[in-house]
Amino acid sequence: MIDLLHVELKRTWIQFIRYPAEVIAGLIITTSVFYGLFLSARYMTGPGFAFGDRLDAVVVGYVLWSLNLYIINDIAIGLQSEAETGTLEQVFLSPWGSPRIFFARAVASLALRFTLIMGVVLILMAISGSRLSFPPALLLPFLTLVMAGYGFAFIMGACALVFKRVQQILGIFQFLLLFLLAAPFEEATGIMQYLRFLLPMIPSTGLLRDLMARDLALDWGTFGLAFLNGLSLGRNIGEKTWFP
Amino acid sequence: MQLLNRPTAQRADAGVPNAVILATRDLTKTYGRGNQKFAAVRQVSLTLHRGEVLAFLGPNGAGKTTTIKMIAGLVRPDRGQVTIAGEDPHRYARALRNIGAVLEGNRNLYWRLTPEENLEYFGVLRQVPRKVAHRRGLELLDRFGLLDKRDTPVQKLSRGMQQKVAIAVALIHDPQLLLLGEPALGLDVEAGETVKALVREIAQEGRAILLTTHQLDVAEALSDRVAIIRRGQIIAEQSTEALLQAFSDSAYHIEVEGSLAPAQHRQVTRLGAIVEGRHITYAGTAENLYALFAVLQPLPILSVQRDRADLTQVFLKLVKDT
Repeated sequence: MIDLLHVELKRTWIQFIRYPAEVIAGLIITTSVFYGLFLSARYMTGPGFAFGDRLDAVVVGYVLWSLNLYIINDIAIGLQSEAETGTLEQVFLSPWGSPRIFFARAVASLALRFTLIMGVVLILMAISGSRLSFPPALLLPFLTLVMAGYGFAFIMGACALVFKRVQQILGIFQFLLLFLLAAPFEEATGIMQYLRFLLPMIPSTGLLRDLMARDLALDWGTFGLAFLNGLSLGRNIGEKTWFP
Repeated sequence: MQLLNRPTAQRADAGVPNAVILATRDLTKTYGRGNQKFAAVRQVSLTLHRGEVLAFLGPNGAGKTTTIKMIAGLVRPDRGQVTIAGEDPHRYARALRNIGAVLEGNRNLYWRLTPEENLEYFGVLRQVPRKVAHRRGLELLDRFGLLDKRDTPVQKLSRGMQQKVAIAVALIHDPQLLLLGEPALGLDVEAGETVKALVREIAQEGRAILLTTHQLDVAEALSDRVAIIRRGQIIAEQSTEALLQAFSDSAYHIEVEGSLAPAQHRQVTRLGAIVEGRHITYAGTAENLYALFAVLQPLPILSVQRDRADLTQVFLKLVKDT
């Protein structure tokens, strides 16, 4: 399994870095879209308005949206393109079994995307003046977010294999995802304060905003619900990986 | 689907000459439901021995791909059984270590990776330790004449080179069975001949090769046996030579230099041959053929050819008639 993890990390890294222009363009686009949104918001509020922790909350939402977009593209579009080039069949011909291979792939892609997203966070903090906190407890909701994100990505990947073409849906879906992850559902009132636990990734995102932007302590009750939310999406992968 | 890993004693006979590497029995697969239900594969039984090349032919939609996928453990049959070197790939994941595959229509490679990186990656995917996979990869690249291209991304290689890398990748874990789809499709003449020579060499090493192709000249040149599938059923399975013989007539075409003398002409005609200028067509027995040669003396004989059907003619006849 160590060898498998090693070669998956190596493959992911090589495929990512072989054309550096793509990497640089990706970073520039990700950060400049945020900067555009940031400038628009400042224009609407006027130069004297202090964003306070709301700016931090938006930065966290935007960063998590970028991360999830990377994950979904890696898995869903990756599966489709591998089906087209024939490498997917080679994966299923492996004695390791597809759950272990896809788990190794998820770890490798997360390692890469996490590193990249840290760079994005630092750039966004520099250009917006946001000051985020990084308490160790954030790892817990981050884990549940990633579980849900990968579960969702594999569902989209399965749709890509069954319905062949999902790029257009994915293109529209990223705006829906931006709405889900950037909007502060954790501050919702009425029925939405309960329904938000049923929406994919939302409870984890709210917790991460609490920890990183609002400097609040981890709410274990909400974390329990975020865990269930992540588990319900990620369980197929998890079950098959650890209990094949 | 849950696969098990278990050691097996049956694998030992795979090293024996003529050992059965692949055996399928009554493989059956049906797709769809209700009125749309159709049998893609019906009771397909195939046997493939060590060192043998079986050309598995059929028109589009005949059931080739479904059969291959059932053999490779990618599609579960409704009925029937597959064994590869004595193990069922649908029950034991270990059986997959005996299969190498270059499946039809693509190159089965990561295009951004170099041949060396592809070989190491797919080696580990086939449970070869990483260092061993790396070493074997370099050996295969050397053998296939690609060592100088080891650091070139696959997408920058010629189609022939990509095909050779794909075959090398399929051999990285030293499988006993190679599933090979369209090995020479889209290659120029030289690259096609190189790949054909490689396939022959791989079979001579003792691997069994299940070849699927629509290029019937390639199938004829490479195969020891032919199985033809139509509408999900095997309609012919025998040695390539026997199949071609069965569809060939026994006429000989002889070309001589110069003209036959009138006496020679009479004698040749009496033996049952037809003379058209310098060309003689003879459809009699092999013994009388030598009598014919004696009559033709001292005229130089330029060529003697026996009528021989090619696999394309055989295939079309079988597929249309049955």
